[in-house]
Amino acid sequence: MVSPAIALAFVPLLLTLLIRYRYFFVLFYRAVLVRVWRDCVTGLSREERAYQYVLTHSTPGDPDSILDAFDVWCSKVEYISNIGPKKGKILDRLLMEQSPLTVLELGAHCGYSTVRIARALPLGARLYTIEMDQGNAAITEKIIRLAGFDDDTVELIVNPSDEVIPRLRSDYNLERLDFVFMDHWKKCYLPDLQLLEGCGLLGKGSVILADNVLFPGAPKFLRYLRKCGLYEWKIHRATLEYSTGIRDGMAELIYQGIK
Amino acid sequence: MQLTHHTPALQDTRTHLHVLFLWQRTYLDEAPACDAEDAAAVRSIKACSSIRLQLTSPLDAAGSLCEGIQDHERKMPRDSLIPSENDTDIELDFAGEDDFQEAHERKKHRGQRRDTDREKKRRKNSRRKEASSSADREKELQPRHKKTERSRRRSAKNEQETKRSKRDEEGRGQTTRRKTAKTKKNIKNEKTKKTDDEMEGEAGERNEKGKKKHGSAKKGERKEGGSEHVAKEKTQVKKKKKRHKKVVETSSDQETSEEGDDEENANEDEEVRPESLSPEELEKLKEAVDEKKKLIQSLRGKPWLMKKKLVTLRESQEFVEKYEGALGKGKGRKLYAYKVMMTKRWMKFQRDFENFKTACIPWEMKIKEIESHFGSSVASYFIFLRWMYGINMILFGLTFGLVMVPEALMGRPYGTIPRKTVPRAEEASAMDFAVLWDFKGYAQYSVLFYGYYNNQRAVGWLKFRMPLSYFLVGVGTVAYSYMVVIRTMARNANESGIGDDNSFNFSWKTFTSWDYLIGNPETADNKFASITTSFKEAILEEQESRKDDNIHLTRFLRVLANFLVLCCLAGSGYLIYFVVRRSQKFTLDGLENHTWWERNEVNMVMSLLGMFCPMLFDVISTLENYHPRVALQWQLGRIFALFLGNLYTFIIALMDEINLKREEEKIVKFNITTWEASLYNGTVSGNFTAPPVTIHPADVPRGPCWETMVGQEFVRLIISDTMTTYITLLIGDFLRAVLVRFLNYCWCWDLEAGFPSYSEFDVSGNVLGLIFNQGMIWMGAFYAPCLPALNVLRLHVSMYLQCWAVMCCNVPQERVFKASGSNNFYMAMLLVILFLSTLPAIYTIVTIPPSFDCGPFSGKNRMFDVIQETLESDFPAWFSKVFSYASNPGLVLPFILLMVLAIYYLQSTSKSYKQANVELKKKLQMQNEENKKKNKRAALKAQLDLEEARKEASQAGELQKNNNASIQSQEADEENHSRNPRIYHGRNGRGPPPFTDREPSTRGPVSRNYHHGNLSTPRYLPGFSQQSDPTTYRASNLQNP
Repeated sequence: MVSPAIALAFVPLLLTLLIRYRYFFVLFYRAVLVRVWRDCVTGLSREERAYQYVLTHSTPGDPDSILDAFDVWCSKVEYISNIGPKKGKILDRLLMEQSPLTVLELGAHCGYSTVRIARALPLGARLYTIEMDQGNAAITEKIIRLAGFDDDTVELIVNPSDEVIPRLRSDYNLERLDFVFMDHWKKCYLPDLQLLEGCGLLGKGSVILADNVLFPGAPKFLRYLRKCGLYEWKIHRATLEYSTGIRDGMAELIYQGIK
Repeated sequence: MQLTHHTPALQDTRTHLHVLFLWQRTYLDEAPACDAEDAAAVRSIKACSSIRLQLTSPLDAAGSLCEGIQDHERKMPRDSLIPSENDTDIELDFAGEDDFQEAHERKKHRGQRRDTDREKKRRKNSRRKEASSSADREKELQPRHKKTERSRRRSAKNEQETKRSKRDEEGRGQTTRRKTAKTKKNIKNEKTKKTDDEMEGEAGERNEKGKKKHGSAKKGERKEGGSEHVAKEKTQVKKKKKRHKKVVETSSDQETSEEGDDEENANEDEEVRPESLSPEELEKLKEAVDEKKKLIQSLRGKPWLMKKKLVTLRESQEFVEKYEGALGKGKGRKLYAYKVMMTKRWMKFQRDFENFKTACIPWEMKIKEIESHFGSSVASYFIFLRWMYGINMILFGLTFGLVMVPEALMGRPYGTIPRKTVPRAEEASAMDFAVLWDFKGYAQYSVLFYGYYNNQRAVGWLKFRMPLSYFLVGVGTVAYSYMVVIRTMARNANESGIGDDNSFNFSWKTFTSWDYLIGNPETADNKFASITTSFKEAILEEQESRKDDNIHLTRFLRVLANFLVLCCLAGSGYLIYFVVRRSQKFTLDGLENHTWWERNEVNMVMSLLGMFCPMLFDVISTLENYHPRVALQWQLGRIFALFLGNLYTFIIALMDEINLKREEEKIVKFNITTWEASLYNGTVSGNFTAPPVTIHPADVPRGPCWETMVGQEFVRLIISDTMTTYITLLIGDFLRAVLVRFLNYCWCWDLEAGFPSYSEFDVSGNVLGLIFNQGMIWMGAFYAPCLPALNVLRLHVSMYLQCWAVMCCNVPQERVFKASGSNNFYMAMLLVILFLSTLPAIYTIVTIPPSFDCGPFSGKNRMFDVIQETLESDFPAWFSKVFSYASNPGLVLPFILLMVLAIYYLQSTSKSYKQANVELKKKLQMQNEENKKKNKRAALKAQLDLEEARKEASQAGELQKNNNASIQSQEADEENHSRNPRIYHGRNGRGPPPFTDREPSTRGPVSRNYHHGNLSTPRYLPGFSQQSDPTTYRASNLQNP
């Protein structure tokens, strides 16, 4: 039987852990506990709830209001790991600078980043977005339509990314991707990048932006970047979306090719 | 005049020779620094040789030089690839000479003859040829004379050549080129030599062609012997060839040089007769050497490019090297070579010795490695640990050597008296591990604890005064610790010197923020990042300090943090108090009725609190937003308070327990007297004459012995503390690192970069752990002599364990910072702890009487009575009388008063010195500023003058321009371009240029040129003519950045 005094001596440790990792506990609460509870209560999936909220709180045809509604829902109500407003600004800036004509998005989730990218695209540009999950893809479709983008601007492909990428050249007549945004499974970052290299879809000057490389983190991806020497790259340091204390970063890669 | 013309040619030949020589001596390249020392070593020889040169005639001097060169040549093959044959070769040389002299009996008296020779030379230096009467000497001298004549002729022919070489001496750059060219040639020659080796037969003819230069270098000496000599030597050489085939490398060379001599001597351009050196030339040479030396010394301050500096250094070193030896005679030269060799050896030995010394410092390499990976703050902990280890070794040596070993060897053995025997009740379980782990049973009744020691005044055949030794060792350890700590503090205080100047924040950051001991790229990255962030923060701070609005928030946060920390401290204090009270209750109940957890509650709680509270403080301190160095000190202070609170709670609990034991002791004492009385009564009633009943010592009732109890408590505390530290290390660092490393392969987020990550090394916690550990040692060492030994063991293990843990499980701190000043902070804390830990020990020793039946002081009223006893019985009566007088308060009080006064006086003087220092500093600053202003004014004036001069120059005629141009061309490679216009001006405005009248007319262009190199200070410039030299220099220095 451990005496109560010894147990009390562990209180400082608990306090320390609580204070030091408070952001992670908050995140855990919002992203996991609240989600499970709401799933049980409403019987809807998280994405569907988000869609309902956006539908009721935004103006159709206005991408900005849709994005705002998403931000409000993600920061106040529940949590979905979209790119978020702060890191979204970096994305916007890059798109404005590059004004790419062919954009590939890996991992649409529920359409937040799709809308964000499509909003910033120049006229005549085309966005291919890949989503693996059927349900999420349906929501994404609805959101895209709600924001007022048609099939010419945004093409939604419902399939795992590792199946789609090898077929991009043949099925979609793509020669070169100007901009790639990665926000799907962090483990797929590296294989998908290598697939893109292998298929020759990247040309000199193609920009690849990978979100969440520090948290949850893609260490292998970063290690590969350091080693391979094909890219000019840097990490935009920021905090995790809808959270203040957790550090995160986006990796911006510019393909240089083999010199 | 002809003689003077010879000098450059001679020098050239020497250069040739010497470059050859140097080519094989690579040490110049390896350690250029040692050359300066070589030069210094040689200076003495040179001085001797110069004296000798003054005495002898020019011809003699030349002869000596010639000998010197011969020696030089002899040395040369020694440096080549085949040493054994070379020795024989040298023998051959001597043999050749002797053959030439044709006198076998002279061989025996060779040394004598030389001496007489010299004397005669000295006597008849003007008419040498006529004066020499003996035939052999004539033979010896004749060829020499012929040589000089021939050389004169040749030099007359080759006047142009010599002029060219003169110019070479002038322009150093040109010389280098030539020298390098020569070295290249020589290298080529060496190569051809090697190939020639293989084809021995044809060596003669080939060498003649391939090594004209090489041969020419040796001809000067070789010709000394006439044709006879040549022939004989040839035969010798041939004999040699038959014996050792490889000797040819050098000997054939000589042969060819002699063969080619007759045919080619007219064409030789670098042929010199060393005999032709006059004393003036030697003087000149000496001066040149001196100047070169000066140049080497002043080279560091020259405003030249590094490349130029290096070239100049190398060149002048070569020059000095060459002529230092050349100035000596043959003997001096040998000595010189020997000295050079010895200096080289000495340098190497010194280097090796340094390495050896470093290797001898325990753990030095480990600490350096850690320092390179983690920065100096982490390394400072390990250095502190090592220092502590040293102290503890000495403490251990004292207690072990003077207390434990004498008692174990010479005292009564185990089981003879009650205090050295395990009591009957405990005998059954005395060897159980659980009991031993608690330091009971056999461990308690051993030399490890106070109670085991006997109060016998002198033990063994040495008559070792055991109780006295015990007492003095106890006092001595503490006194020694005080001494060491204070001495170290004083030394560190000297080093730290001037405090941080806040006025030059950014300059400090720019110039001093890099930690040059970092050798790990990752740490370097961290350091780089931290410097950049610190810059950003500093800029922000600067902005904020101007805005001055956020200060309230910061203050509030700091106060809040301190409040939280205080709450924490109070909570932990209360918890310990509560636990101690509870444990007293348990003790009263009887410990056997409670679980292990409850019995060890106090230690556990103390260790856990000591482990976790610092973490909490660390988290809280992020609120305060201090610089990490300041934050570290705050953290240290807080943990210090916590540990101190814990320690004192523990001591207070111990005091309570001591009082309990003493009450118990009284009862036991009473019981024993009754028991003894009953025993006696029993025996008395039985038989009057029967021997007294022998009772086994284990059965004798005994007191509780509070001293042993205190010692046990401390030992247990140390053990549990050590265990907690190691377990924390293993779980918190190692296990975490293993988990992070290997779970990262299959985890959904990046464990290494994100949430758990690897741990950082906690400097403050570890340092304080160490310090408090030491405090406990100091406190408990009197009652448990084994404590220093335990501590040494612990420190030794933790050195290795922590070194390993740091290198394998920790990552460098995110904000790597230098820990320059923190060392004294550790020391100050150590001193405080030392004081605080000696307080309770002294209190117990002075106020509480020792137990009646255990320990070395049993039976005495107080422990320190042992001193009085010794004084009375071991010292003569007068000594104790003197001591009693000295300890009289009437004497002690004035003495203390005197000491206080002395301290006061010293303090006030040091204060006044400090003030004077500050004032001097201020003055210096003022002067600096003034100089700056002055300098500016001077520069402005110079600029104005310059402009004026330009105007004038544009108006002036061509003649003047030509003059100036010639001067400029002379100065071009020595002076800065910026200075040229000023010189210009000096010529135009203020009369003759300063350097022309400085030039001695007798001196050749060589030395003049050199002088200009030395006069690089702007003293001779008109703009600066008003100022003294050093101020100008400093002012210009200040202007540059």
